[in-house]
Amino acid sequence: MLEELSSVAGSAFAVGNLAWIFFGVTLGYLVGALPGLGKGTATAVAIPLTFYLEPLSAIAFLVGISKGSTAGSAVSAILLNTPGEPSSTPTAMAGYPLARAGKAQKALKMGLFASVLGDFFSTIVLILIAQELAEYALGIGPVELTAILAFSMVFIAGLSGRSMIKGLIAGLFGILVSCVGLEVETGSPRLTFGLIELYDGLPLIPVAIGMLALAEMMTQIGQRQRLLDEADLLKGSSKREDQIVTLDDWKKCFRPILRGSLIGTVIGILPGLGASVGSFLSYGAERRASGRGADFEESGAIEGVAAAESADNAVVPASFVPLFAIGIPGSVIAAILISAFVIHGITPGPLLFLENKELILGVYLSMIAAGVILLFVGYFGQNIFARIVRVSPALVMPVVVFLCCVGAYLQGGGTFGIGVMIIFGIIGFFAKKYDFSFVTFLIGFVIGPSFELSLRQSIGLVTNASELIDHPVAIVFAVMAVVGVWRLTVMQRKQMAEMAKSQTN
Amino acid sequence: MPKTDLYAGLGLMAFGLITLFVLIPAQTSDGGDATISPALLPQLCAIAITGLAVLLTLQAAGKIKRGKAAGQTVPAAEWASSAAVIIAVGVGVLLFKYVNPAVAAGLLILGLMLYMGERRIYFLIGIPAVLLIGAWLLFYKLLGTAIG
Repeated sequence: MLEELSSVAGSAFAVGNLAWIFFGVTLGYLVGALPGLGKGTATAVAIPLTFYLEPLSAIAFLVGISKGSTAGSAVSAILLNTPGEPSSTPTAMAGYPLARAGKAQKALKMGLFASVLGDFFSTIVLILIAQELAEYALGIGPVELTAILAFSMVFIAGLSGRSMIKGLIAGLFGILVSCVGLEVETGSPRLTFGLIELYDGLPLIPVAIGMLALAEMMTQIGQRQRLLDEADLLKGSSKREDQIVTLDDWKKCFRPILRGSLIGTVIGILPGLGASVGSFLSYGAERRASGRGADFEESGAIEGVAAAESADNAVVPASFVPLFAIGIPGSVIAAILISAFVIHGITPGPLLFLENKELILGVYLSMIAAGVILLFVGYFGQNIFARIVRVSPALVMPVVVFLCCVGAYLQGGGTFGIGVMIIFGIIGFFAKKYDFSFVTFLIGFVIGPSFELSLRQSIGLVTNASELIDHPVAIVFAVMAVVGVWRLTVMQRKQMAEMAKSQTN
Repeated sequence: MPKTDLYAGLGLMAFGLITLFVLIPAQTSDGGDATISPALLPQLCAIAITGLAVLLTLQAAGKIKRGKAAGQTVPAAEWASSAAVIIAVGVGVLLFKYVNPAVAAGLLILGLMLYMGERRIYFLIGIPAVLLIGAWLLFYKLLGTAIG
């Protein structure tokens, strides 16, 4: 592996590629630091910038953005108590009290170090296991693939929201929407309403920008006043030990970072769980281990920041494992990255390691380079980013809406793309408000064509139920899907009952 | 939020039934000699969505009956902001088609800034100008593509 990696080091560490990574990380950090903006918005809006880049630079740039924005969201979480996305909520819980006590610099620095370490750990795991998994996945036939995709959808639907029913509806709606366009076998138009623009199907980028970015802007613009109110509560400190990470801090945080990296990596590999589950689990584990109880949030905890940030950042690289190995996007970032691969004529999945091995190795090295650049940008740009979080939303949000329109226009065939973006922005807004997982919808939309193709091939291969005996792997995944529906529904009911009980108390 | 779930369930049920009995038959061919109908997957999805929507509705109705109807509602400010964004983008598209891309983009940014309460004249002029010049340099000059 090391020999193979060193053979592509020249292209991955070329000045041009590193410059795009640097640009991506800085842009991502900037967007992540702005209150209310997250990595999904940042990556979706940036895709149009990659159309004319070489595939490696394009993917490296987007990876840089996702890493930068994941780490950057800790800035607004710690300084304003306003997480850029839900996965930074534990960071806000542990870090904002520290900021109010004059230790913002310390919390920001430890958040950055934990982010970089979690990200690095997860990237190494990705490099070590994705290819092995892909080699196994090459032996999978259409019947097995259909069962695996069905199982993945159930798993994602069950874990990405609070209701299995709503999750399944969102996923099925995504698959239904992916049916728009020319049908694969007969070439006849399907659900196109006579619009030639729809013959190639709904374009992914305007759909993703609408569901992720525009819907988010519609919500955030309505909450504009709240975004800056918390900033007034901060106070500064002149003590040096409040501004740096001391050896004592490292002693406190070493174990939480290690645990958080491990939790984030495992959660990232499992499709659909997402960064929020990772950061909350890691934060919860650290809170229990500290034995401080409610004081953990009241006084703030540097180890809480480290636990949450390491897990949050470990999720993204690990979520590329199912994407690279099987072609199943395990997260929003992975789903968006699929479109970047497709734009450059590359199909994610097990064949990636046979047909585009150099590219994928280049991506691995770019991810490591992005981690180092992230440390550099985050550390030296900390004071600038700390000021940026105070920029008025009235200046930021209109710019993001403008960038959404540009992205949808470029990838969606002109104003038609903007129209698609508006429609899916409205759907995304309602999905957010009524708790239907837009992540599950997007993943259903992305895997829909593969699911249909493998389903059709399976129906051709298996003409009666007894022939399924020849496909034991498919049977195992089908049974796991059914058991998954049952178990996850029971789990969600218990959680809802506990929530209702705690609300009553 | 049982009440919103009830409305969502009813809406999705109607959507599923309309898709199944109106949209798919009208918008999908029978496939001719194809071994599997092109309508198979859309029909499966529509049936499953309708079935799940029935479950969601029944579940929500049950909760309401048991007196658990309390739930969160969407604040009026968010309804207004979402309408403002949609109107601004929609007007932007019309201006883009019938007037000029630069005017459309400039007014889109300006309109949203004004809606969000920005009144400082140097920002109202500066930000749209910087963005338009930046987009022109990036897309027309650096990346070699064209908008409009």
